[in-house]
Amino acid sequence: MAAADTAPPPAEPRRNRPGTKATDFCGWPDEPFEEMDSTLAVQQLIQQTIRKEPANVDAILKPPDCQDEGVWKYEHLRQFCMELNGLAVRLQAECTAGTCMQMTATEQWIFLCAAHKTPRECPAIDYTRHTLDGAACLLNSNKYFPSRVSIKESSVAKLGSICRRVYRIFSHAFYHHRSVFDLFENQTHLCRRFTVFVTKYDLMSKENLIVPMPGQTDESTA
Amino acid sequence: MEDEAKQLPPGLTQEECPQSRPQYSIPGILHFIQHEWGRFELERAQWEVERTELQTRIAFLQGERKGQECLKNDLVRRIKMLEYALRQERAKYEKLRKGGTEATEEEEKPPQFEADEMNFGVFQGPGNAPGPVLTWKQGRELLRQYLQEIGFTDTMIDVRSTRIQTLLGLQTSHSSTDGHPAATPAAAVGAVNGKANLDTQKRVAKKERVDVLRDAEASVLATFDFLAAEGAPGSDGADEEDEDDVVMGTPGVDEMQPPCTQDPEGTLGLGELAGLTVNNEFEPQSKDLPKKWNAKYTLRSHFDGVRALVFHPVEAVLLTGSEDNTLKLWNLKKTVPAKKTAALDVEPLYTFRGHTGPVLSLVMNPSGERCYSGSLDSTICVWNLPNCNVDPYDSYDPGVLAHTLTGHTDAVWGLAMHASRPQLLSCSADSTVRLWSVGDQPALSETFKFDAVPTTVDFIRSTNSHQAVVGYSNSDLVALDLETGKPVTRYETTGCGQINRLVSHPTLGITVTGHEDRCIRFFDDATGKQIHSMVAHLDAVTSISIDPHGLYLLSASHDCSIRLWHLDNKTCVQEVTSHRKKFDEAVNDVAFHPCKPYIASAGADSIVKVFV
Repeated sequence: MAAADTAPPPAEPRRNRPGTKATDFCGWPDEPFEEMDSTLAVQQLIQQTIRKEPANVDAILKPPDCQDEGVWKYEHLRQFCMELNGLAVRLQAECTAGTCMQMTATEQWIFLCAAHKTPRECPAIDYTRHTLDGAACLLNSNKYFPSRVSIKESSVAKLGSICRRVYRIFSHAFYHHRSVFDLFENQTHLCRRFTVFVTKYDLMSKENLIVPMPGQTDESTA
Repeated sequence: MEDEAKQLPPGLTQEECPQSRPQYSIPGILHFIQHEWGRFELERAQWEVERTELQTRIAFLQGERKGQECLKNDLVRRIKMLEYALRQERAKYEKLRKGGTEATEEEEKPPQFEADEMNFGVFQGPGNAPGPVLTWKQGRELLRQYLQEIGFTDTMIDVRSTRIQTLLGLQTSHSSTDGHPAATPAAAVGAVNGKANLDTQKRVAKKERVDVLRDAEASVLATFDFLAAEGAPGSDGADEEDEDDVVMGTPGVDEMQPPCTQDPEGTLGLGELAGLTVNNEFEPQSKDLPKKWNAKYTLRSHFDGVRALVFHPVEAVLLTGSEDNTLKLWNLKKTVPAKKTAALDVEPLYTFRGHTGPVLSLVMNPSGERCYSGSLDSTICVWNLPNCNVDPYDSYDPGVLAHTLTGHTDAVWGLAMHASRPQLLSCSADSTVRLWSVGDQPALSETFKFDAVPTTVDFIRSTNSHQAVVGYSNSDLVALDLETGKPVTRYETTGCGQINRLVSHPTLGITVTGHEDRCIRFFDDATGKQIHSMVAHLDAVTSISIDPHGLYLLSASHDCSIRLWHLDNKTCVQEVTSHRKKFDEAVNDVAFHPCKPYIASAGADSIVKVFV
């Protein structure tokens, strides 16, 4: 938000024209949140803040004043699921039905895939894909989330279960595909952001957060 | 005679009678009778003559009436034609300046109603007798039935009633003018036959006048019948035209409707009629729907702006590529019932994960088995499309991602698939256009390097020449020989904005370009000359698509709308506001289905809409 001080709004529209180089993609100056008049303002703000500094988790998760908390949580979860696609792509390369027959993290639990009529013991990669697909459908469902400007209380309750399921992808990657996880985490800081997010908004119980986040958990609880 | 006899003195009666006898001699009586008979005979003859004369006149008048009837029919037909022409003009006018005519339409309306009432007044005036009123009522009943059956619009009734009014005016004036010429022959007859005859003549004329008026009434009712009969479904071409003009003038009619129903003056049962037709009003509109594209399916599941979309060549299947790095496959036949909204929700069949950057471009091969996606991560992925009835939660098949084409060193913004050869063109922000042979083992065949950044590329479709046309961010537009790599034609694009998308017309030998400067331009492939240029949107044109028959053009813009254009006269046929802005982007791509009546638009709001 500090860059919001860069005075007059640029005449150049904020858009990626065909031919834009990858390094210039979304490379426009920040738009102050107050000036965003789109229904997608919250998404715009979140993405803008992430692009600026992906590691600055606190800045990313700091809601603007008077922001509806339901919408804020919802938009963040959309962003998490979207970025988790990146982890899924990397996992597809080495996590197969052969290597990981079941969705596990520690030895303690086998997670059942909730995407089916009766929960099923899907291989880890299928669990990952199905969970992300299911989350995409639910978060885009016209029934539960018809608007991105206001969200029903009953629908906000759905966010917790999505978080719980989605988190297992982190934990599986951490415990079974550590190199993939580390590479991804170094780039995106996604797991750390997610951990802070669910803790901050109390969307998951502490004992379920099994991926150790050195220092970060203490910091956020402090 | 008896009275005279009684007055005579009784004694004298016997004598007196023979005395008077000579006065009434037989020959005298006979003569008298003969004379009288002759007189009567003469009179009878005269009456006979008069009767024939009158009969001739009746025949003459009847003939005249028939002539008038023919004339009337002809006029009605002409009015109909003019009306139709007027409607079309009005519809055109309306298209040009939307809502501008609202006021004038409303102004036009009430006088017509007054005219109607006058019409009724005139109508009932002469028919004071209960008989005609009854027939009028019956006629109206009949008319109403017909209206119910056919669903005439209010406007048409109005036009018709004015038309009838004119006709009625014509008829009455005719009958009165008829009266004068009728008097002339009557006078002539009278001159021959004396005053008594003239009197009867007058009486007959009077009678005739009433008859004429009755005739007028009957004929007006008959006109109603005639019109209604003409309006019967599928009866003739004129009716179809009428239906058409209702369709054409839909917005106008719409705006005109409220004043009609609110008009308290529209009494005399016409209010009822008006109400009746208001209901019917919607039928022609709904008949109109197939002509206009309406949003039917909403495809939500992407988490971020949708950049590209492509239809399956045959099936009602759609593939979309998004900034959330995924592609999604949608089957429009598998919908999720949505509450309240008319639009149907579709859930994706399959999510393609393979890119590590936003998906920017998408093409499908002509058989619909494979698709190619270009991404910001500078790769092109080759995907084997799963069966379009696949279970969305099936197990992962790594074979879906058939190949990854690497070679580009920056974002792949444009792809084009050859219609018959297994060739793929790609253009990238690394300032190259690459030609790939995409058989079983896809491989790079050529790389064309440029100074400017190519933004969009297409094969020249109208000829089988081995050429492609490339648009650049500096607004250059060049046709390239793919064998020699040399430019063949440089199109005249000086002063234009960046080219965001180009399409080669399937048959006409023209290239259509969508520019950042809001314009759509048409170029002749042979000469490179600009054929036409138009400011097509309020903001940058992002995508264009030509329908499979090459008749319509679809354009998308960051002004949130998509527009449909007639390629013939370059006029906008329809505009739909379909997406919301994210930053300064709104609609990123549009496409026609290659054979089915679908169009789709991809929005920066992460939603895809399909119109039917």
